[in-house]
Amino acid sequence: MPVVELSYSRLQKLVGKVSKKQISDSLPFLGLDIESEDKDLVRVEYSPNRPDYSTDFGIALGLQGLLGIKTGAIKLKIKKSKKYLISVKPDVTKIRPFVTGIIARNGKIDDKTIKQFMAMQEDLHFGIGRKRKKSSIGIHDLDTISFPLTYSTVDRNHKFTPLNSENASSITDILKETDVGKDYGHLLGNSSKVPIILDANQKTVSFPPIINASMTTVTTKSKNLFVEVTGINKDDAEDMLSVVATILQKAGFALESVQISGAKNSTPKLEERKISVNVDLINQTLGLELKIPKIISSLKKSRLDASSKGKNIICSIPAYRFDIFGPMDLVEETALGYGIQNLEPMLSPSQTIGEMNPISLELKSLGQIMIGLGYLESLNSSLTSKRVLYDMVNRNSKNIISVLDSKSQEHTILRDSILPGLLENLSKNIHESYPQKMFETGTVFTLDNPISEKINFSCISVHQDANFTEIKSILQSALKTGFDIKIDTKTTAHSTFEQGRCATVIVNNEDVGVIGEINSKIIDDYKIRVPVVGFEISLSDSILKSF
Amino acid sequence: MSQVFHDIEKKIIVSLKDNPKQTPESLEKSTNLSPDQIRRGIEWLRLKKLANVDESKTSTISLGKNGLESLQKGLPERRLLDSLSAGSKKLSDLQRELGSIFGPAMGLSRKNNWVEATSDQISLKTNPSILPGEKTLKQIGDKKLSQNDIDKNDLSLLLKRPDFIVEDIIKTRIISLADSAKSLDISDSSGAIDVEAKVPEVFVARTHPLKDTLDEIREIFVTLGFSEIIGPMTQSSFWNFDALFTPQDHPARELQDTFYLDGISAKKIATPDQIRKVSESHKKNWRYNWDIHEARKMALRTHTTCVTIQHLAEKKPDEARIFSLGRVFRNEKVSYKHLVEFNQIEGVVVGKDANLRNLMGIQREFYKRIGITKIKFWPTFFPYTEPSLQTMVYNERLGKWIELFGMGIFRPEVTKPLGITKPVLAWGGGIERIAMLKYGLDDVREFYNNNLNWLRSATKCQ
Repeated sequence: MPVVELSYSRLQKLVGKVSKKQISDSLPFLGLDIESEDKDLVRVEYSPNRPDYSTDFGIALGLQGLLGIKTGAIKLKIKKSKKYLISVKPDVTKIRPFVTGIIARNGKIDDKTIKQFMAMQEDLHFGIGRKRKKSSIGIHDLDTISFPLTYSTVDRNHKFTPLNSENASSITDILKETDVGKDYGHLLGNSSKVPIILDANQKTVSFPPIINASMTTVTTKSKNLFVEVTGINKDDAEDMLSVVATILQKAGFALESVQISGAKNSTPKLEERKISVNVDLINQTLGLELKIPKIISSLKKSRLDASSKGKNIICSIPAYRFDIFGPMDLVEETALGYGIQNLEPMLSPSQTIGEMNPISLELKSLGQIMIGLGYLESLNSSLTSKRVLYDMVNRNSKNIISVLDSKSQEHTILRDSILPGLLENLSKNIHESYPQKMFETGTVFTLDNPISEKINFSCISVHQDANFTEIKSILQSALKTGFDIKIDTKTTAHSTFEQGRCATVIVNNEDVGVIGEINSKIIDDYKIRVPVVGFEISLSDSILKSF
Repeated sequence: MSQVFHDIEKKIIVSLKDNPKQTPESLEKSTNLSPDQIRRGIEWLRLKKLANVDESKTSTISLGKNGLESLQKGLPERRLLDSLSAGSKKLSDLQRELGSIFGPAMGLSRKNNWVEATSDQISLKTNPSILPGEKTLKQIGDKKLSQNDIDKNDLSLLLKRPDFIVEDIIKTRIISLADSAKSLDISDSSGAIDVEAKVPEVFVARTHPLKDTLDEIREIFVTLGFSEIIGPMTQSSFWNFDALFTPQDHPARELQDTFYLDGISAKKIATPDQIRKVSESHKKNWRYNWDIHEARKMALRTHTTCVTIQHLAEKKPDEARIFSLGRVFRNEKVSYKHLVEFNQIEGVVVGKDANLRNLMGIQREFYKRIGITKIKFWPTFFPYTEPSLQTMVYNERLGKWIELFGMGIFRPEVTKPLGITKPVLAWGGGIERIAMLKYGLDDVREFYNNNLNWLRSATKCQ
């Protein structure tokens, strides 16, 4: 989950008359997990469905509601203006068809505010922008730009000076040489044309979704801002814009509209939506008996507007709360405004009788039997490595099941057998005293349109006098006691076992596994100095009664 | 009852009663026991406070190479004086005769005025019957002696000479009976053995500690009226994500978080009706082109919710309490905090009156049964539940609040397309975290290391 760094003193200024403690006590009840605290600084994790919490401005709005300082929906005050126009050319349609934007005037920007804006931009790009694929933002110093703007495409040899650079470069070079170019250039595919926002003097403002021009860089001296959002879907672009607009208004800017036209684009409305929710749904879902005024005040604390109409509560939802899909989301907003800490847990008696799954029961019994026979239970991961599963034990890996892009080299393939893992366990215990006797039951995986999952049972005995007779006795007793099953063994050859000391295990004329003395080369390779005997059988097909 | 002694102890006690202060070596002789038996016997008696062991260090001396030669042939100066006793000799003849010892012998003899040298002629002046050092040389002989027994002045002369004297520090242990042991009756012949002695360690066979925790949790759920369901660990993305309202471009679905099976897709994932309704819910609410190929991709389940949701979609119960417990997978870097594969419990309550406070009540009851009483609830977010909460529990050992189970009520966007009409309360979380608290582990990997040292020593009843 994304993390935002806040300063208590800044939050106190933004929220109003509250103590540091009130703030830190309230943050979790907005759904913000405090990750670390250091004097005035606090780092909180916020949920990706609340991009407005990517800045302290947004969090301050939430805190004001929860603490009852300012409640009700945040209204965007956008002055209608004809001064700012963007015309969209049809050539962007195939690449990145939509642009939207807003003007923010007369604000003050200090270093900390710039930091918050940059963090917000990053988080929006990563989260709802889906790594800039769906939508991306550019924030510019308005006073460096001459309107009207055009949103169109240019060739890849188009040159401009990108942000954080002093020299003009071609699009091709920017994509090749800058970090952002390398990270996001793939979003433009192979098209020879790329999206561009140019101003009235044909100067480049932005090269979405990659980088802004250096010309429009926002500094602490900037007073007036122009924000543009481009994207592949109009609604998504406007959603992102609504978050930025709400934050900028809270940061003290006065908003003015940008007129957008051409190629199916239009001026964003950033309007409130209305969703109604039934009082009974709220009370039933939460297990409360809230009266209408309490529900309305709770919703207002969650920074929504609400009024009642009979048994329905009609909510006005600001544009930036696009995480709200329907009535159930309003139930949650009511709970948050009411205060989760005020909900008393209540245990309702069970109407049902519980039971363990029969397979769990059978495996538990088998485990008890193995313990009775003196075997210790081992647990290995289902995800293992080719080395452990195949190479070390001379097994053929042609039916290997791999996972993609594992971050851990020891966990790259799914096991089709348990015994190799147990042998590897031995290699890590060569300094522990013998005898070492271990067993494991667990799921194994084989390719079978697409995958078949079965339960196997494997066991090893390791000590100076370990031999075939001993391990066959163990298997025989375990299955007889556990399942009243008789086994036969028939000579076979298996690459993991010693030639002439290995047998197929047969239950009801069916081959269920293999038993024998482990091949001495494997034992040597694992630097084990005592003999190892063992078996592995499948429990699923003819042994477990409930599988 | 009289105290019972091992045979070794008896023999040592008897010997010490006869001869109260002995070294281990003399005990070996008097008892006919091996050095190792004596060593153990002394240690046992010492631990029982029946014997005293006085360790002392003494410095001993013996003759070195030149000392031994002088013992045999006489001191160099003695050999010079003896040689001259028959009459004076030429310097060069003496040199030839005495070889390398001539120099030191001559130096000493002239210094002590035993000889006279004129031009190249050496003649005896006096031949003392005993020379300095000779007494000590003879006294040491081929033995090791304590320095205390030797004339210090006479010794000091020899000490100055190279390789005459070797000094050693010797530790001696003198064993004696403690007062309490002097009156011991060791004549017991009842056949009793030493029941107080230490015994060798044996290791029990046992279930895996993590399995114990899993069983404990399983049992709690059963007693709370829940029935266990089991489902596959490999799942189509449809059930792991799509059916749970997680959009196809959601970051959690990326390769870097989820394990997908290389090149493996499911042909049949769900009924055509389920696929249609789920995809419509995605298109409407998340505004994108839902792709069935994404849904077919086989993954290692990232939670057990995919098992419960399939069960609910199939049975559509009006009333149910079910749980599933099993392994789940995340593509993470393995560390002391994170595993790629771990166990998760998930419980579900279906009922027309099921509500959030019930959900919280079940949590409180569950935690109480695993010994956790200090809990609180915080709001959180999951794509498939609304409202959503998480439990924070206070851990005394760590002295802080830690996050345990997540919970919520399945969203209508999840239940409606699958034909589930009653509210579904769901919660769950990782088991290893609980087991770590239980066993006081700081490294989660220990559960899967199969380190016998730990498995053999972890306390079963925590």
